[in-house]
Amino acid sequence: MHISEGILSGPVLISGIVLAAAGTAIGLKKLNYDRIPRAAILSASFFVASLVHIPIGPSSVHLILNGIVGLILGCGAFPVILVALALQSVFFQFGGITTLGVNTVIMALPAVLCYYVFRNLVGKGPRIALPAAFLCGLLSVFFGAVIVGLALAFTEEHFLKASYLVVMAHIPVMIIEGIITAFCVAFLKKVQPEMLPGYVR
Amino acid sequence: MKKFPAVAFFKCHKIIFGSACLVSLCLMWSVSAMAHRVNVFAWVEGGTVHTESKFSGGKGVKDGEVLIYDLEGSRLLSGRTDAQGEFSFRIPQKTGMKIVVQAGMGHRGEWTIPLSEIDPRAPIPETPVSQEGPSETAQSGAAASSVNLDQIRHILEQSLDRRLGPVLKLLAESRDRGPTLQDILGGIGYVFGLMGLAAYVHFRRKTRQIESQKEG
Repeated sequence: MHISEGILSGPVLISGIVLAAAGTAIGLKKLNYDRIPRAAILSASFFVASLVHIPIGPSSVHLILNGIVGLILGCGAFPVILVALALQSVFFQFGGITTLGVNTVIMALPAVLCYYVFRNLVGKGPRIALPAAFLCGLLSVFFGAVIVGLALAFTEEHFLKASYLVVMAHIPVMIIEGIITAFCVAFLKKVQPEMLPGYVR
Repeated sequence: MKKFPAVAFFKCHKIIFGSACLVSLCLMWSVSAMAHRVNVFAWVEGGTVHTESKFSGGKGVKDGEVLIYDLEGSRLLSGRTDAQGEFSFRIPQKTGMKIVVQAGMGHRGEWTIPLSEIDPRAPIPETPVSQEGPSETAQSGAAASSVNLDQIRHILEQSLDRRLGPVLKLLAESRDRGPTLQDILGGIGYVFGLMGLAAYVHFRRKTRQIESQKEG
């Protein structure tokens, strides 16, 4: 999911930075300051999740957890993921500083989209909420893979071909992320339902 | 309302959560092939450049695209890595080189070989050196000694290459260590440091507002 430095063309990098900056600004505006500890815990989880690998075929992919971050934080996913990615690029050399904008968009934009799609469903009974949570986790990774394909399409690789490859490689992660997201939502519904969107007292 | 069942649930789920965390930690340390960072390592041996490309964690980049540029950025040649992530080529011309490896899905690594490392006799194909050492035929003294010097230098270089090869391989392997525990804890520490900073700024603003309201 992390695109390395030196692959993408200038316009793609710049539009990534612009989009990420806009998303981060909106996210910071909407971030409820009483929820800062929550955001920090999610940021730390996201940061560490990239080290959990799922071996498939010749290479392996890693957990992303952007679905659950988006579901709990909404637009706040942008600043949280930006911070985690910046730290990943410094500490682990995943991605890079120039691709920080693009990588943030890759992982945060699907998270925010899925938040708006699923936020009303997650608050409902478990029969609706759990499949919705599963789909939220799955689609966050799927759209991320599509954005990776889109970013690569502007340099040399064919969009459909690149996206197909990235999506195929991430199918196991999609399923695992779906399960993890559903598990987290089930857990939170029992323990701390006010953390989830669509909670009515 | 249903406080107690929730607490009980939380307690039993703590175990599940804890074990899930443990499992993921084990995953983290056991599986170490990953696809985020490509490490390229190249060294010169005689007239050949050997390159080794690995994902951080030590798994070779299989069938990755290798592009060789000179230092001005014009492409000299290209190829693909084998199943171990290795690719070797004859030095095409005497110049410093930048080796770029693209492993697909937006992963890329590079390595630069400065001109000083390129074998000065690179373009000349290696001549097999006779095992008897310098021939003692009656030639003119100067010519014979220069040939001998050449041959000695060649033998030296060859045996040095042979000896240094494994060392360079070791170096290549020790270069790419996955993230250490310090890195992970450092990152988490930064996250919480930022959290503290944000909370501090925010509540300082809040207390000021309250103070100004009291005064006003």
